[in-house]
Amino acid sequence: MPATSHPPADTFSELEQALMDAFTQPIADDVFDKLAMRIHRYQQAQSPVLAQFYAQYPPARHWHEIRPLPQSAFKLADVCCFDPSTAIHTFHTSGTTGETRGRHHYRSMQLHDASVLLGWKRLDLPHHRRVILAPSPTHAPHSSLSHMLGLLADSESDFCMHPTHGLDRARIEAALDGDAPLALLGTALAFLHFFENSTRTWQLPHGSYAMETGGYKGSGRTLTKQQLLKKFTEVLGLSPDSVINEYGMTELSSQFYTRGLDQPHVAPSWVRVRLIDPESDKEASPGGIGRIAIYDLANAHSNLALQTEDLAITKDKGFLLLGRDPAALPRGCSREADAQLS
Amino acid sequence: MTTRERIRLLAEAVRASDTQAYLPDLREWEEALALELGHPEILDGFRPFGSGYSQAKAMSPLLHIVSGNTPHAALQSTVRGLILGAMNWVKLPSAGLPIFDRFLAALPRALAEKVECASTLPAHWLKQARAVLVFGNDKTVSAIHSQTRPDQVFIAHGNKVSFGIIFDDPGWQSVPGAARDISLFDQMGCLSPHLFYIADAISIHEYARRLADKMEACEKSQPRAPIAPEHAAHIQAVRAEWRFRALTDSGIAVHASEGSTAWTVIVDTTSEFTLSPLNRVVFLKPLPSELPIALAGVSPWLSTVGIFPCTPESTAQVSQTGVSRICRVGSMQYPSGFWHQDAGAQFAPLVVWIDFEP
Repeated sequence: MPATSHPPADTFSELEQALMDAFTQPIADDVFDKLAMRIHRYQQAQSPVLAQFYAQYPPARHWHEIRPLPQSAFKLADVCCFDPSTAIHTFHTSGTTGETRGRHHYRSMQLHDASVLLGWKRLDLPHHRRVILAPSPTHAPHSSLSHMLGLLADSESDFCMHPTHGLDRARIEAALDGDAPLALLGTALAFLHFFENSTRTWQLPHGSYAMETGGYKGSGRTLTKQQLLKKFTEVLGLSPDSVINEYGMTELSSQFYTRGLDQPHVAPSWVRVRLIDPESDKEASPGGIGRIAIYDLANAHSNLALQTEDLAITKDKGFLLLGRDPAALPRGCSREADAQLS
Repeated sequence: MTTRERIRLLAEAVRASDTQAYLPDLREWEEALALELGHPEILDGFRPFGSGYSQAKAMSPLLHIVSGNTPHAALQSTVRGLILGAMNWVKLPSAGLPIFDRFLAALPRALAEKVECASTLPAHWLKQARAVLVFGNDKTVSAIHSQTRPDQVFIAHGNKVSFGIIFDDPGWQSVPGAARDISLFDQMGCLSPHLFYIADAISIHEYARRLADKMEACEKSQPRAPIAPEHAAHIQAVRAEWRFRALTDSGIAVHASEGSTAWTVIVDTTSEFTLSPLNRVVFLKPLPSELPIALAGVSPWLSTVGIFPCTPESTAQVSQTGVSRICRVGSMQYPSGFWHQDAGAQFAPLVVWIDFEP
């Protein structure tokens, strides 16, 4: 329900400019709240889908009172603050054949791209030649991951994966054989394929690092983080601290990062997270497991507040990601037949 | 020990361990054995069989591999093996099955010696078992099957789905039974309904409201067992998705327990079979004119349909859909002793025969 006591909702350009200005420095809690509430009003005014969704709930007075939209809404409706036919970019969620895919429309890429680049900059990583184990944006125009990797790439970067031909192993191996440190970026599944079919090992030059993302959904594979990191060490000589994990999704415009094992994922300052107790649907108790609700200011033109289907535990200033896979949960939590038969 | 003596001792152990809820009446099993094998004492010696005489002998040892979803599988499969007189190796879930342990403790020594349990599958069990009976999901069943030999009998009880149909119910008499079918064992069994089809003559929304009331009552009298966070999260995601759908489709409604995931009733406007996330989540859908089309996606896995009213006319409408059991709504979780589980015989596949032709 639009909050009539507040100033009128922003226009597209006003909001985008305000956010671009804000993203250049750490955003304090009170500033975040003001920006989030501006976006919330804007989105209710501009998106019939969100107006209808929020009409069910009492008006929010603070960002954390904004009910997060279920992730599945992106499969069921066009969640955006403009006519989706005017979108300049539409990213699709991954899925199996026949499965309805989520759609995230963009009227402008300015906020999204600024978020990707500034979020990456926060990691303070050295710039090395990029070897990318994912399709290029040209080959996968609807993949938000490919778009992101395209932003992080430069003229010397190699996209070593084709959507139909798979990994270009020769190109990857040629890069690994070089003397200069490398930045390897790609999906966890692509790295796994490379590792499992590799007969050689490398000791990458000091300073090299990798960034992996995504799970193994639909591949029939399960692998713990520890097992994956072990393979990075065995095949590439990268220590766990040299492997960065990105947590992101098509429905968001910002990313979370962590390094090594058992370290929390940390968001940029234009993103806030709440953990929602899966049983009560209320705020999770400190240290308890919760469903991750993400408030991403860079999603100004689609949907600010997203209820993901992933689980996490709060840790330090971030969260320890458990994911959706029961195997990722602490031992003893799963009642799945498979686990009990093991 | 004769078959009759074994059944008598087993019935005493069932009573002593208070496990009646997990097993059919053993007198029915005695009758079912006679029907399947042709004579109630045919395991005890040669009995007339056609123009001659035959004796059935239990395959032994039997290896039962059971999942943790419900204790039924472990109890029923082992008791059937004991009735036949076989040695029974039982691979239990690693978390254990207290109800099964209670039953074993009540067995007299002569029968207890015929059961050996393990939570980790000993390699020699798979090699030496004459028959392997597996209860679990399709992945588990395939994994075990790949390790068996062609000369071993392999009986799989993999994933199954069940549902109900309310053809007519002006007095809402089926509602308590439907709630019971959904609530018992928290939908973990293959006989638990994922959804109910509601005929046009009945207000599906009124049925949902009444069912929701009964689900709440069931939660008060028999609370659902605590569930893991990922299962609760799945239920919340399903509820949120259907509430979102309801914004643009007034035919959709979500009734749910307050402040918990204890129970959920979702009214849908489409008839395609929807799998429930279980733990007392049920869909109500309009009964389609072409039921086999609606069930096409799950036809290989169909088990039981509960119907109301349970009449021959209603039965005729569902007997060609691929289900293997049709029963009254409210009795879905309690098959009789004559039930052909997963459309197969219970005792006959587990015996070998000796024929005497005088």
